[in-house]
Amino acid sequence: MTTVELRNLTKRYGKVVAADGLSLKVEDGEYMCLLGPTGAGKTTALRMVAGLLSPDEGQVLFDDKDCTHLEPEYREAVMLSQNYSLFPHMDVNSNVIYGPRIKGWDPDESQEVADNMLEMVHLQNRKDAMPRELSGGMQQRTALARALASGSKVILLDEPLRALDARLRIELRREIVLLAKAMGITAIHVTHDQEEAMVIADRIAVMRGGKVIQVGTPREVFDDPATPFVANFLGQSNFFVGKVVGKENDITIVENDVGVTVKARMCPFPMGEEVVVAVKVGNTTLKHNDGFFMGRVERILYEGTYIHIDVLANGERYAAKVPNRKYEDFSEGEEVLVGWPPTEAKVFAMPPEGLAEELRLE
Amino acid sequence: MPRIMLEKVTMQFGDIYAVKDIDLVVRDGEYLTVLGPSGCGKTSLIKVISGIWTPSSGRVLIDGEDVTSIPIEDRNVGYVFQNIALFPHMEVLKNVSYGPLMRDMPLDERNAVAEKYLQLVKMLDKMGMLPGELSSGEQQKVAISRALASGSNLLLLDEPLSALDARVRMELRYEIRRLVKDLGITVVHVTHDQDEAMSVSDRIVVMRNGGIVETDTPMALYRRPNNLFTAYFIGETNLIEGMVSDKNAHNIVVRLRDGTDVKVNGNRHFNIDDAVVLSVRPEYVYTAKEGLTAKVTQVIYMGSYWRVIARAESMDMVEYNIQRYENPPAIGSDVNLVFNPKMLMVYKRPTEGISEAIRLE
Repeated sequence: MTTVELRNLTKRYGKVVAADGLSLKVEDGEYMCLLGPTGAGKTTALRMVAGLLSPDEGQVLFDDKDCTHLEPEYREAVMLSQNYSLFPHMDVNSNVIYGPRIKGWDPDESQEVADNMLEMVHLQNRKDAMPRELSGGMQQRTALARALASGSKVILLDEPLRALDARLRIELRREIVLLAKAMGITAIHVTHDQEEAMVIADRIAVMRGGKVIQVGTPREVFDDPATPFVANFLGQSNFFVGKVVGKENDITIVENDVGVTVKARMCPFPMGEEVVVAVKVGNTTLKHNDGFFMGRVERILYEGTYIHIDVLANGERYAAKVPNRKYEDFSEGEEVLVGWPPTEAKVFAMPPEGLAEELRLE
Repeated sequence: MPRIMLEKVTMQFGDIYAVKDIDLVVRDGEYLTVLGPSGCGKTSLIKVISGIWTPSSGRVLIDGEDVTSIPIEDRNVGYVFQNIALFPHMEVLKNVSYGPLMRDMPLDERNAVAEKYLQLVKMLDKMGMLPGELSSGEQQKVAISRALASGSNLLLLDEPLSALDARVRMELRYEIRRLVKDLGITVVHVTHDQDEAMSVSDRIVVMRNGGIVETDTPMALYRRPNNLFTAYFIGETNLIEGMVSDKNAHNIVVRLRDGTDVKVNGNRHFNIDDAVVLSVRPEYVYTAKEGLTAKVTQVIYMGSYWRVIARAESMDMVEYNIQRYENPPAIGSDVNLVFNPKMLMVYKRPTEGISEAIRLE
């Protein structure tokens, strides 16, 4: 039973605010992803939970007990980083058994735990290998086994897959989640990769500028983003800027300055208000007979499951991802109608600092 | 005339072959990507093409001229490294005008060239800044404009996006593709990221163990990969073992390990009792009244669709997609799965076993 709570954490480095009133509660046995761009404060948050950094303000609680000033070794948490940090002069077995051994566990029992862990990460036949003899993926699996062998109730993963090849990342991310779930431990996993977060997380905390801007299940943050930034960061969105000109039957009608109108979900903004409509590229439709406005197909890329199509319309670029079976339906240079189901488009207030600044990734 | 031709290129370090007997043609104006896992030889290959390395044997021709032993500085190629290699003490504009300076271009002219390429990557407003003041994505854009400003219309990209955040990588790959196509430049781009390769390339060279597995367009490699490794490495696929149990004039029937028969169009060259592997992409697996019975073990919301993972009695794992507005099946429930017979690929079962045939490291 371990919950982790970050309560109003603040951490400053000179003028840089790495954590700006950061609050988040992670439930027992939950797999939580901290997702955001570089500089969002994800790693700072993780290091404060681990006890490697002390916050200027705020508290870190394990099982509702204040651990803010507790040394790392007395917390229930173990950290796994992107550079595997194995002991280079020790073989795989010695690396994995290290935690149980320094905790003074019975040697037979320690070995049994190590054997179990190595079996779970499919490395039982590489027990005697030295880290340098292993591939990057195997080293990271060894590091994972070592992290879990010490019996911690919480694992903190700091971009654990960043150093690996794309294809291997896909394999290993599943293994990590299955392992964490099998052991019933609480996990906090930092990543900049939205697809990784979608696939592995029970809940995602989207971070930016030292704050959590939205927490929810993958489905909640994908389908009902709190801000235009979240809409674009998870799954990429198209944006349409205009004014609210109508509201009827749970639909908002938005018109831009050249008189093009589009439809979106119901919104709380008054008539005449300047707003931003966001719709995922995967929910953007390209048709020859139905849509909100005309555009010209700039290019078509066959990406696998989906075709990526860029369309130029009124000087703006819109992207759509359509199923690969529709590849024959489009050709570069032709005119198409861009549209979307109104229920898939969300209306946001125009960000005070402007849309481009709101969407900035770095 | 092809821009680049490699003839029997081999790069050897002691007993180890980084690449062996590579033949390759890069067409004029083509965006060619070399894709493969760590250690496949892709980096060695681009170093040989650029002239950073001289191959142990074989020839490199650029525009018909044998440049095998000509070093990189005399080859007139633009090169972009994975770890952004800008001069840290020079402003953006000076970094980009460095190539023209080396070619003794007068100040006005070289600044005009540099500004042109900075404009193309939308970095003109930051030309007075130092690299350290830019984000890593911006730095890589400057590195690309610097490579282009050197005057070459041959661009070599060595994992140019690997050091960047996933989301920035996605934006930048489309931008690079748009830029080089507008300029009509020939590109060789090395990457381990199959999504990246799929979205930027005219053709992809799949490499493994120092050799070329196959070369084709993204669409052909996705729909009709000749090789089991390609089917696995590019996109996602289900690999299911079986035996050919019947054949007629138009199709074959593959019996899976749990006894389910699967009809496959074509593939007349297989014979009854051949051990085979079926490959089917998740979007071509459908639920039906009858078919391969499997128990749902996991359901994942992917945003654009649901991914369902199910286990057959034979322990074969099958993944399939359902539309996002449909209700996914409950975990633990049984589903019957069928495969689109037109989109099934069949491979001879590798003698070394499937897991060895698709091993990444």
